[in-house]
Amino acid sequence: MKRRLILVLSVVLALSLFLSACGDSKQPQEEVNQPVDSEQEVSQETDKPQVPQVLKYGTDAEPGGLDPHTISAASSIRIFKQIYNTLIDVDDDMNYIPELAKSWEQPDDITYIFYLREGVKFHNGREMTADDVKYSFERVLDPDTAAIGVSYYDKIDTMEILDDYTIKFTLKEPFAPFMGNLTSLYGAIVPKEFVEEHENLMVEACGTGPFKLQEWVPDNRVVLVKNEDYFEEGQPKLDAIEYYVMTDESARLAALRTGNVHLIKLPAASLPLVEGNPDINVLPFQTNDYSYLGFNLTLDKFKDVKVRQAISYALDRQEIIDTVYDGEATISGFVTPAMGRWAIDYASKDLYKQNIEKAKQLLADAGYPNGFETTIAVGLFDDIRNIGEVIQKQLEAIGIKAEIQNLETGQYIDAWSNKGHEMMVGRNGAGTDPNRSVAFFFSTTGSANVWGYSNPRVDELCEMGMVTIDEKEREAVYNEAQELVLEDSPNLFMSSHMDYFFSRKEMKNFTPSTFNSEDFSKVVIE
Amino acid sequence: MRAYIIRRFLTLIPILIGISLSIFLIMQLIPGDVVSGMLGIEANPELRANLEKKLGLDRPLHEQYLSWIGNAVKGDFGKSFRTDKEIFPEILSRFKITFQLTVMAAVISWIIAIPLGIISALKRNTIIDGIVRFIALLGVSVPNFAFATLSILFLSKVFKYYPPVGYAGLFADPAKNLKIMILPAIILGAIMSGSIMRMTRSSLLEVMRQDFIKTIRAKGASEKVVLFVHALKNALIPIITLIGMQIGSLLGGTVVTEQIFSIPGLGQMVLTGINQRDFPVVQGSILFIAFVYVVINIIVDILYTYIDPRITFKVGR
Repeated sequence: MKRRLILVLSVVLALSLFLSACGDSKQPQEEVNQPVDSEQEVSQETDKPQVPQVLKYGTDAEPGGLDPHTISAASSIRIFKQIYNTLIDVDDDMNYIPELAKSWEQPDDITYIFYLREGVKFHNGREMTADDVKYSFERVLDPDTAAIGVSYYDKIDTMEILDDYTIKFTLKEPFAPFMGNLTSLYGAIVPKEFVEEHENLMVEACGTGPFKLQEWVPDNRVVLVKNEDYFEEGQPKLDAIEYYVMTDESARLAALRTGNVHLIKLPAASLPLVEGNPDINVLPFQTNDYSYLGFNLTLDKFKDVKVRQAISYALDRQEIIDTVYDGEATISGFVTPAMGRWAIDYASKDLYKQNIEKAKQLLADAGYPNGFETTIAVGLFDDIRNIGEVIQKQLEAIGIKAEIQNLETGQYIDAWSNKGHEMMVGRNGAGTDPNRSVAFFFSTTGSANVWGYSNPRVDELCEMGMVTIDEKEREAVYNEAQELVLEDSPNLFMSSHMDYFFSRKEMKNFTPSTFNSEDFSKVVIE
Repeated sequence: MRAYIIRRFLTLIPILIGISLSIFLIMQLIPGDVVSGMLGIEANPELRANLEKKLGLDRPLHEQYLSWIGNAVKGDFGKSFRTDKEIFPEILSRFKITFQLTVMAAVISWIIAIPLGIISALKRNTIIDGIVRFIALLGVSVPNFAFATLSILFLSKVFKYYPPVGYAGLFADPAKNLKIMILPAIILGAIMSGSIMRMTRSSLLEVMRQDFIKTIRAKGASEKVVLFVHALKNALIPIITLIGMQIGSLLGGTVVTEQIFSIPGLGQMVLTGINQRDFPVVQGSILFIAFVYVVINIIVDILYTYIDPRITFKVGR
């Protein structure tokens, strides 16, 4: 008996020793590295409340790396957006506003001169200058970086440093989307020596933003602390932001209810769960996304525009909005209402009003008087799946029997990029410039035009939109393109939805908006 | 005996080669790849080519496999596609967390299951037996994600309680660590205990029916001695087999619980790796889990000989 006990104990002991001995030196988990989490952090300033100014944010996914130049995942952008800055930003009326550049001028169609803010410091203490701007775009355009935003900036011909705080961009040809593209974090400004020291920016970060990276415990949390030298006077108010990865929706809601986190994001379906809860505020904001039904235009049945238009007439978009989003969405084209003056009003178009008679007539004209059988691929998000189901139901009225294919993320992306679908429901972001919304998705060579759509006039308009600098003329160009895509119906557009932050009442001064949904610069915890 | 152990450990080699090959191929076969995942909607041929070159995915398959497995033998599992971090140290630090959770869950399940199983066997076909068997049936049939979600809902709504959100290591902050781990451990333990309870009951009943128990009773031994010294000892073999298998599968199977409670264990690492199509991470961790599973099974087999001297292992010629 005794011998056995000793044996079992020694096995357990040996295993735990083995485990604790392994790689103890490099364990971020083991460090009690959370000064911000403790009581002693309360500041001496008298005007500050006696509550730790730490925002705890329960997020839905683990970030996939923190390099702003190579990562496009929302879970990552959310974090490095607080760490890095771009030259310029855009406000909710789609006007460009200063960020690292305090002003700019454009002497001719291909020349842009940016005057940088002086005294802006990177998190490593060094001042940011025109050199860093040049280096950052060189890094993006270097194929070895495998950066995502190559096509955003590859029209840059030369960058000339006029002095420490002035840089001149010369483009190869006029490129109207250039300013819009500069607002993207794909063009974030990074410090050269830091990148070279760490080889990449995947787990380390050093920017000019309001917060700096303190620690990243994989699959658990990312902690950002205040950048005391941030160039916007008096910002941020918070001492730290802690992002906790909580993939489970009910866990997120439970942690919010008990006050373990201050902020979470949930779909509209969760709204009734917090109704009447005095501790929780719901903060809705309009997204810049739209949902669509796409056709595989290489298939015979979808080659005929009449079939696509018939399906458009068969849909009741308001019913989709009422069922899926509880009425909280707007009928939208692929240039969303949030993009203001660039968007045409899809809701008023004949094609976007349900007309079963006309739908049946068109289907009969196309040679399918009794409809046909097809499939609808759905995936990624719950609202996408729900939209698929409503469409399936609505198409029954004109005899189209659609089967839903619910795909896992990898399968879905595969089907999307390789035309492995018949019809497909999806969601796109319209971007900050109409060139993105139109050319990227619907020009013949657009990289997100996976449908096989090609209209020479649309291509022509996309070219014109790129080189037309006059805003009014540009607007006319993109209006025509939108009308053409509407008529051709390579995709049918549904709606632009709302997103919801659920926040604790202790969290104040947070107003999410379309183009800056996670601006925590004025947030305080009471 | 020594020859047997050596031989068992030698069988590890073909097993691990087989596993590494199949996991490598499975990762190639599943739809979606890391490049599409990372580029998403932005993918175009130029960006794809750049990224594939950077990640070494432009090489032929057999070359990718051989270079991976060649380094893995030396303990170098490569770097994550996503974060560019060394994988092996990460696996070890994650495994510690999962190991702790597993041990806690296992101990909790024994504390619940073995006494109840014994009581149930002794009071066979009484009300108490019925209740215990009902609980055991719940344990066997309720999936742990359902139990976990319900507990979270119940605790947060009724008691306004939710475990701390930021993970802290056992040695760094024991109090916080236990606060985080205890709830998931109880949930896993309660679920595990169902089958152990049933196994204890039936195995004990089986032994109690045997002739040697009659002999011992006839010798005049008290019921306590009969039960704890003789019967239980003989009933242990199937229980230990079951426990070994459960621990083995828990080490790779706490995924759902880890996810719900945001515990950064090995299961989460595999899951995030799969979602992000981070092949080296998935391959490395699965290989490691398989290794641990096989080793635990070998340890359990060796333990048999200590518990039941009738079992000896001879190496066949």
